[in-house]
Amino acid sequence: MQYSEKVLQHFMHPQNVGEMENPDATATEGSPACGDQVTMYLKVDKENLIIEDVSFLSYGCASNIATASIITEMAKGKSLEEAKKITWRDAMEALDGLPPVKAHCSVLAADTLQTAISNYEIAHGLKEVPDFSKETIIGELKKIIYPQVGEDIITLKMVKYVGFEEKTGEVLIDLNLMSFDQYRDNVAEEIREHLQKYPEVKDIKINFPS
Amino acid sequence: MNDRIYMDNCVTSAMAPEVLEAMKPYFGEEFWYPGSFVSTGEASSAAFEGFREVIADALNAAPQEITFTSGGTIANNIALKGLALAHSGEGRHIICSTVDYPDLLTHAAYFEKMGFEVTYLEPDELGFVSAQKLKDAIRDDTILFMSTMVNHVVGTIQPIGEYSQVLAAANHKIWFHVDAGQAFGKLHLDVKALGMDTLSVSAHKIHGPQGIGALYVKKGSRLGAYIHGIKRFEGVQPGGLSLAAMAGFAKAVEIVYKDLDGSIKQLRELSDYLLEQLESQIEYVELNGPRGEGRACHNINVSLDFIEGEAITIMLDMHKITVATGSACASQGLKPSYVLLAMGKNQVQAHGSMKFTLSRYNTKEQIDFTVAKLKEIAAILRERSPLYNAIKKKQEK
Repeated sequence: MQYSEKVLQHFMHPQNVGEMENPDATATEGSPACGDQVTMYLKVDKENLIIEDVSFLSYGCASNIATASIITEMAKGKSLEEAKKITWRDAMEALDGLPPVKAHCSVLAADTLQTAISNYEIAHGLKEVPDFSKETIIGELKKIIYPQVGEDIITLKMVKYVGFEEKTGEVLIDLNLMSFDQYRDNVAEEIREHLQKYPEVKDIKINFPS
Repeated sequence: MNDRIYMDNCVTSAMAPEVLEAMKPYFGEEFWYPGSFVSTGEASSAAFEGFREVIADALNAAPQEITFTSGGTIANNIALKGLALAHSGEGRHIICSTVDYPDLLTHAAYFEKMGFEVTYLEPDELGFVSAQKLKDAIRDDTILFMSTMVNHVVGTIQPIGEYSQVLAAANHKIWFHVDAGQAFGKLHLDVKALGMDTLSVSAHKIHGPQGIGALYVKKGSRLGAYIHGIKRFEGVQPGGLSLAAMAGFAKAVEIVYKDLDGSIKQLRELSDYLLEQLESQIEYVELNGPRGEGRACHNINVSLDFIEGEAITIMLDMHKITVATGSACASQGLKPSYVLLAMGKNQVQAHGSMKFTLSRYNTKEQIDFTVAKLKEIAAILRERSPLYNAIKKKQEK
């Protein structure tokens, strides 16, 4: 499958690119090592809690840049509450779809927007720093896309068990991916990348069917 | 030729117009197969012998040592499985390197599954795998060493002759297979002087037709049969193989070998010019692999810092320019180039790597246009990149 016209349009001429002077909140997700990293900047109207302006920088592929472009377009002018509902699926739909193997690239931009909103809320006393729990882990796993079909691994029921040992900081995940699955290593690596950023996580064990 | 600038010739290359002409008779009136003692069979037998001789001459092999196959990968399969099958009784140890062509590495994985032990030699930072490393890896039960003569990612030329000397000095026979897909037509390749037992080549990398390759098997080598089926004539893998494709392959080889030194020189000049332009025109460009003679004449591989290769190739494609990247995002398996990582390059260098593989149909004007566009694209993508912005800020301070 090739890129849609819409993807190419947003990739070649992205909206809202660039660093913002004095933003009210920022967030960076991904890392150069994974091959993609997105930074987002928010300006928020403090009275009405409306996103006045949003911009991004992206080190990433065409779908990454296109998603960041369209998702900033979608978020601009929305209230924080409305913007919180924007998912990678919405962005992907607005782009007239992405090849399944590239779906995971759209998650990062969506993720960065949500983190920026959350950072704003925490900084302005609108919410507490959420406790790290099993739910946090499941939330992260919902962002991990199985490349062959372009769906997340929770929806695909690939995760059989999630455990978190608070005392030791050990995360235990049972994945239903066979040894011959060509994306098994990718998925495991992504899980680690997503969970390592939490200081509560000290160790990650991923088990596969033997 | 259309107006596309094609610089991905290591994957496949445009078929030469003369090649198509040479193939035409065998699609039409002369459709027969060699073999039978009637005039139709005799005529095509003579043609076949002629085609085989062209390939043999180019490699300095005897015609009887050449087998046509339906591609380079099938040639590798016939040789590697054939050698391992025939000699598994003598030992269970096989050697290759971590930067070999996927044909060889998938075989290594298969052999491991079949109970063989495989030692993977590590390259240096330029992609060279030294003969000393091979020497150190040899064991009493080693039966096979396989090597990729010209690396498919960075063009590094491996010391095949030195390998042969090391293998000959071992206290028992170790079979030696070489994948020469990227080497054939790009350097002087004399199988007698280099001393391997088997070697694979392919037609469509040198402007021949797709779907045909050849396997050199040194006289006296024992290979197990891997493909079974009707053997219509000696010198061809079992089954029906296209005589038209053989005709095209022979013509493609003839064209290159009419003046091999000249075609190497032409490609070397183009590559040198491309590298010179890339390095002088664009900031933060780093060559991957060796500079100069240690590198095949058609390959230039560079990393552009702070930006990702898939985005670059898509933008170049908008300008009708085809090049390749080692970025994970451009591969179906979502993994960055294993060759660059094995050479010690980091993830950003692998994701930002661009591979240009040139052919005789590329021109300096095409290179100028490509570098100019790449310069624009690098500037655009760097403006968008948080990594580049961070560096710029640091510099301003």
